[in-house]
Amino acid sequence: MTAADATRKGKAGDPFSSPWRRRLPLLPALIFTILVTQLPFLVSIYYSLTDLKDKTQSLIPQPTRFVGLENYRTLLSNPFFRDAMWTSVKMTVLSVLLSLIFGTAFALLLDRKFLGQGLVRTLLITPFLVMPVVAALIWKQQMFSSLFGLLNKALEFFGLDSVQFISDHPLASIVTVLVWQWTPFMMLIMLAGLQSQPADILEAANVDGAKPFGIFRQLTIPHLRRYLELGALLGSIYIIQAFDAIDVMTGGAPGSKNVPYFVYQESIGGGFRYGSASAYAIVVVFASIIIATFALRVLSGLLKDEERA
Amino acid sequence: MDGTRAGTTRRRMTFLALAAGTALLVAAAALPGAAFGHGQAKTISVAIVKNPQMTDIASLTPSLFTKQSGIKVKYTILDEGKLREITTRDVGSGGKSFDVVMIGMYETPQFGQAGLLQDLTPMAKADAAYKLSDVLPAVRNGLSANGKLYASPFYAESSFLMYRKDVLAKAGVTMPAKPTWNQVATIARKVNTPDMAGICLRGKPGWGDLGASFTTVLNTFGGTWWSSTASGKPAAAQVNQPAFKTALDFYSKLVQDAGEKDAANSSFNECLAQYQAGKVAMWYDATVAAGLLEASDSPVKGKNGYALAPVDKTKASGWLWSWALAIPKSSPDPTDAWKYIAWATGPGYIKAAGTHTKGGWAAIPPGTRASTYQIPQYKKAAAAFAAKTLAAMKAAPITNPGTTKRPGLPGVQYVGIPQFQDVGNQCTQLFSSVIAGSTSDGDALSQCQQIAASAIK
Repeated sequence: MTAADATRKGKAGDPFSSPWRRRLPLLPALIFTILVTQLPFLVSIYYSLTDLKDKTQSLIPQPTRFVGLENYRTLLSNPFFRDAMWTSVKMTVLSVLLSLIFGTAFALLLDRKFLGQGLVRTLLITPFLVMPVVAALIWKQQMFSSLFGLLNKALEFFGLDSVQFISDHPLASIVTVLVWQWTPFMMLIMLAGLQSQPADILEAANVDGAKPFGIFRQLTIPHLRRYLELGALLGSIYIIQAFDAIDVMTGGAPGSKNVPYFVYQESIGGGFRYGSASAYAIVVVFASIIIATFALRVLSGLLKDEERA
Repeated sequence: MDGTRAGTTRRRMTFLALAAGTALLVAAAALPGAAFGHGQAKTISVAIVKNPQMTDIASLTPSLFTKQSGIKVKYTILDEGKLREITTRDVGSGGKSFDVVMIGMYETPQFGQAGLLQDLTPMAKADAAYKLSDVLPAVRNGLSANGKLYASPFYAESSFLMYRKDVLAKAGVTMPAKPTWNQVATIARKVNTPDMAGICLRGKPGWGDLGASFTTVLNTFGGTWWSSTASGKPAAAQVNQPAFKTALDFYSKLVQDAGEKDAANSSFNECLAQYQAGKVAMWYDATVAAGLLEASDSPVKGKNGYALAPVDKTKASGWLWSWALAIPKSSPDPTDAWKYIAWATGPGYIKAAGTHTKGGWAAIPPGTRASTYQIPQYKKAAAAFAAKTLAAMKAAPITNPGTTKRPGLPGVQYVGIPQFQDVGNQCTQLFSSVIAGSTSDGDALSQCQQIAASAIK
């Protein structure tokens, strides 16, 4: 039922007519949401126009000054912020793509009956259930460590030189952990996609003598497209906020510092410049809104295409 | 068939969601129980750094302190970097998370001057058992601002060079009592083998980790982070100056040629483990380490020689540092907090640690009190290094660490201005990746110059 229908039914102007009666119970939740999300945002905007700093950041505490758009101007010329943006893009794109590829592959393997299917599925989902900090610690200490890591022990066994994975390849190490964590998520989405595939069409294709790879390319992939897009969108929204793995594994070493970590370092992570950190955060919020709107538009456009087809 | 499959999946999903929700509820219910579990007993919260001596005191507190005073102590034990982050945030925002925080010689006078800490002088003077006059003057001065003592030292240290006498003798080299960095580098490269690195130098990012070791090298090579105006304000960043590059190149090449494994992740604790495991022949670090190397449970006990911090252009280069206990202005219970501090940093605990800890007399918290060096058992156990430690602490060039005037409050391995913490952390991240070989020294220095320049704007 659309809003227009509803208004036609209720008496115009009467606040206790049916549409209002339906909305009233929602009001407390709405007010609460505004209080805890929009008010802090407004305060952040105000902070971003000041040079607010932590009290520990000057020998003799100075009053906070209003600096106008100064923070935004320095932000645009800050090469470290640009680096962090670029790192965010690389980290997100690589992690989402790789976990989608692995997730699809595992989903295809799981989408058939075999002995121990339940056990294998549980094991494959496990990485997603591990706390991100724990996952990062496991990889840092048990896999990548050059002193007692499994990977270096394996290299040693084959007579190869040890590699200092995290020091030498910080971004690749973090992407590895993110892919390990997010592959199960993608796998679940793709599995849902595969299981919603109409069996009669597959059967018809089989009867018509189509080869398995042909079926996969011409039927399964187009069917899965929506699910791939959904996985990519949800994955990007989560992975762009990656923080735990960076903090635990590299502590923001060059090449591994994404935008959330950069803002953290600028604010409570040591910089204690709350004013400029607010400016960074606000720019990030607007950038995310633009990207998300764009992504959603693409997605809904594709969905409409599907309906028309 | 399709329908039944979707149905099972949906049912399974519902079950999973319910299970996850229940788990969250249980966890939420468990938390307040843990927090309010104890009844009437007074409890204070203390944040301390994760070093062997501090871990000792945490385990001895119930039997040696709580039993007598009735005050329970809840410890938060953190890595140096995390501790700084949390205490700075808590103290700076007037938070009430901690009654006592462990802070260093860098933060104490800054926080004190900014009015964030309780002045301990009256309580310390009134407490006869604490013996304020027994605290070493250099340490007391370093923890004071405008004549007020803002933190009580738990241990204090300088830096010096520790080396394996047996390894150097086998290689046919002798270590001078006052070595230069070039002599040390030559020896390190000579004794370096695939099984045993020549020297362990801190490479882990953090101004108190790599930053501390490196800044002492930088000072003696004639470099500095910032130049100073006549009134002691930072004037201009000096990271792009030749002396800075020389120091960074010297340090990173030495670690690459003859340093420990995975240097970019190594600091005090990692070097200690590698030295005790016989994986490094020399180690430049805090004097407090000597107590752990000569402790009764140390595998390298009795095998070590000690030399003053290596120099280049200056006469002395060792740092001066103390981990000390302070009471935030916002502490709800300063009286009980002082009772704890007086016990933990008083002469009584130092004696108790000698008989109650695994490490024995050699591993007691050193460097804070003159009386420590009069204890007969300590004199015997620490014969190899006690005199060298005192000499190093006296030699530490606290007011004039380099070849030029420094801005801010006094400091050797740091610059006594609030901006140094962030600049040091960010730049040591770059330097650490120079040591790892993934960033060039030129790139690191030009980026660090920008960071240092914009921080003092």
